[in-house]
Amino acid sequence: MQQLIDRAVAGIGSVLLGKEYEARQALCCLLSSGHLLLEDLPGMGKTTLAHALAGVLGLSYARVQFTSDLLPSDILGVSIFNRAEEAFEFQPGPVFNQLLLADEINRATPRTQSALLEAMAEGQVSIDGMTRPLPQPFFVIATQNPIHQSGTYALPESQLDRFLMRLSLGYPNHEAERKLLLRDNQASRPALDACISADQLADIRRAASGVELSDSLLAYIQRLTAFTRDAPEFAVGLSPRGGLALVAAARTWALMLGRDYVVPDDVQAVLGPVVAHRVVPSADYAGDGDALVALLRRQVDVIPG
Amino acid sequence: MITGDQLPRRALTWLIACQFAVIVPHLVRVPLWVVAVYLGASLWRLQMHRQRAEMPSRWLRLALGITASIAVLASYRTLIGLEPMIALLLVASALKLLEAIRDRDGYVIVCLGFFISVTHFVFSQSLPMTLYALACTLLLVTAMIALNQRPGATFTRHEPLLALKMLGLAVPMMVVLFFLFPRIGPLWSVPSKSGAGITGMSDFLKPGAVSKLGRSAEVAFRAGFDGPIPAMPALYWRGLVLSQFEDEAWRTLGWRELPASERTLVRPETTGDPLRYRIVMDPTQQRWLYGLAYAESETAGVLEAWDFRLGVLNPLESQFGYDVRSWTGATMQPQLSAWRRDVETSFPENINPRSATWVTALRSRHPDDKSLVAALLDHFREQPFFYTLEPPPITQPDFVDRFVFDTRRGFCEHYAYSFVALARMAGIPARIVAGYQGGEINPLNNTVVVRQFDAHAWAEVWYAGDGWVRVDPTAAVSPDRVELGLEAALAGEAGFLADSPISVYRLRGISAINWLRLRYDVLAFRWQSFVVGFDSTRQIDLLQDWFGEIKVSWFVAVMLGSWAIVLIPLTFWLNRQRVAPLFLPEEKRFVAVTNRLQTLGLSRAFGESPLALLERVRAQLPGDHPLRGDLEAAVGDLYNRRKAD
Repeated sequence: MQQLIDRAVAGIGSVLLGKEYEARQALCCLLSSGHLLLEDLPGMGKTTLAHALAGVLGLSYARVQFTSDLLPSDILGVSIFNRAEEAFEFQPGPVFNQLLLADEINRATPRTQSALLEAMAEGQVSIDGMTRPLPQPFFVIATQNPIHQSGTYALPESQLDRFLMRLSLGYPNHEAERKLLLRDNQASRPALDACISADQLADIRRAASGVELSDSLLAYIQRLTAFTRDAPEFAVGLSPRGGLALVAAARTWALMLGRDYVVPDDVQAVLGPVVAHRVVPSADYAGDGDALVALLRRQVDVIPG
Repeated sequence: MITGDQLPRRALTWLIACQFAVIVPHLVRVPLWVVAVYLGASLWRLQMHRQRAEMPSRWLRLALGITASIAVLASYRTLIGLEPMIALLLVASALKLLEAIRDRDGYVIVCLGFFISVTHFVFSQSLPMTLYALACTLLLVTAMIALNQRPGATFTRHEPLLALKMLGLAVPMMVVLFFLFPRIGPLWSVPSKSGAGITGMSDFLKPGAVSKLGRSAEVAFRAGFDGPIPAMPALYWRGLVLSQFEDEAWRTLGWRELPASERTLVRPETTGDPLRYRIVMDPTQQRWLYGLAYAESETAGVLEAWDFRLGVLNPLESQFGYDVRSWTGATMQPQLSAWRRDVETSFPENINPRSATWVTALRSRHPDDKSLVAALLDHFREQPFFYTLEPPPITQPDFVDRFVFDTRRGFCEHYAYSFVALARMAGIPARIVAGYQGGEINPLNNTVVVRQFDAHAWAEVWYAGDGWVRVDPTAAVSPDRVELGLEAALAGEAGFLADSPISVYRLRGISAINWLRLRYDVLAFRWQSFVVGFDSTRQIDLLQDWFGEIKVSWFVAVMLGSWAIVLIPLTFWLNRQRVAPLFLPEEKRFVAVTNRLQTLGLSRAFGESPLALLERVRAQLPGDHPLRGDLEAAVGDLYNRRKAD
């Protein structure tokens, strides 16, 4: 299992240069059955990462470029009258894929954004009064530009909360950028072999739910959540769903490292991506969500002391 | 800049309700402007609540505080003493409302409220007052619960119910504390205005002093009898003995005025079974007690004075109960010393010329003391004397002349005064006794309730061999007064109960209300004698019944010690619960290992994970170092119990 994962990470790494850690975090998100939000400036490799993830997991894949005139039916699908059969026929939209890449999700209007909500939360969509299940597994990878870019609609907290992780990629390091620049053509993206089959994915998920969570570690997570709720720097603390997300991601992370028990290092590895987009700084605190996570790391010890 | 949590808006309603509830019993005592301050502060705060008014500035608040203190000083002329202190407390609590912005201000108001409701007991410890204070407590606890609600929560019935439940849970503790908590005397005493606002006997007698009491239906004391209650005409509750006539008033002889030989009480011989009863008195601010002659008491603190009356050393500041044994047939002072005879027969000679002539004539016809006294009483009985609460005023000093020969309308003190004066003119030792006569018999619990309008003055005459004998000239004039009570004797005179316009006593003609009134009186007597009267002596008696012979000091030490044993560790435990996070056992073991590692210079940084520490230790310590294994095991214990099992 460990080899599978290492191979998948290596596969992504061959496409997305110098971002092995972020690739591992993104994989962890999907292996935890979570949706992923990629937030960064244009041209940082968000879409590349999404492609790579779909490739190594061997998932059916659709990409929707979100624009301000995109309508919910463009994502969910629409019923069209078939003259030959004299009946309405449902044309499934891109959401009926195992992996939906919602590119620049914050460019679409809130109405369209919220069309994704049910799909992400329930794994099903309701169209024309009919509830249709989505293929399993179902993932959404959304990318967005930071909100201070013009012409965007910031995702509401309720929708942010449905993404298990939010990742930023950042600029590549010197070595990786050099390799990147030397690559002949951006268009010829190498096709990736699927490393993890659907059955293997199910196995990994089952194994992850069996990863041990000790009392001491639970106490650590509870101290973390309590701190986000009590400290004056936080206007909105971590919700119970946020705590569950932290546990799920930490378990997967431990499994990806070949351990059947969670250690604080696992929690810390996923802390930023899981927590930063769920907490809101209070009005008189200068930092953002990432600064709050840094504060959390500084103030809460893994062993009470 | 306001820090801390905001006062929940809804708690404010409860706080204001509390403030008004706790001030109500004090309304009769404090100046009216204190009430105005209360209303003003509450209105202002409500306007702040409605965003219609600003919070007063710091300087305005300071000015208000200083002004209020000066106003208290001006109203009472002093700040020392119970009443000004309470007024100051009330004003402070009202003004606190103006700056009640944070939740801790709310707690200050609640604490003040508890304190103010305790101060009610300084003035009254009756059952209704206790029930009222309990209601205040309920309200205050409700306010505390409201203070702990989330801001913006809506009103629920839940809060008062929860408060009721909490107080209910506290009842067993209250009962235990009531019986067991050591009743230590006050550490300091606050002077209270002595006698102010208290209706009752004074220690001198002038015409008009007793008749004033006829206007009040307040309870003076209650007497609970063990056996049958004597008939009404025998219920002469002796209080004061007034032997000295001076400055146109009768007064008691002070202990210091007596020669040494007269200071001690010569107990009369007593035979037969005494009357046994217990008297519970409301505070009088005076030093004397009441009893049926001849009375003895074994209750601690009760003194028996040389003139056969009962007293206490210090004025009664709080309710007092004492057990009395009375032998009504005992002979009081069969021999009279020359000094005493001199005192008890002295009366100014140059006044009352008509009486003096008349008495001299009477004396020549009745050389025997007893027949002379009978002749005097006959005079009162046969001449047109009237018994009334509102006699015509008589100018001193020829009081006796004017009363006996001219006005002939008077209350008991007029008759007692005149009779004793006439007897003394005839050379018979006589004196006035002031106290109460009769009372209302409550058959439900065999008690006599004596009210202020039962106040009475009568005479005692000394006969050789018989000692002091009670003579009541009022009874000669108005036998109804002694046999049926004051109301019957006055036959509907308007002055009766004039000072008690709303007393339930007025409604006793309605039988259902009268039954309720008597029932309530039973309850009040029980309350007074068992709850309020449960003082340190009774507590020790009770504990000795339970636990055998114990010493007071030992008992106090055990009580305080056992509280300390329970409470001090509990405090530490609670503190520990709150301040230090709870360690899991495996975390304790891990910390122990890291402490040992620290001696080797390998300390865990804040936030460093155990695995990272393990990596560092593996890199720095040789493979066979025992601490390496220990740390590995400890880390395994922390996160990987499965492997350890």
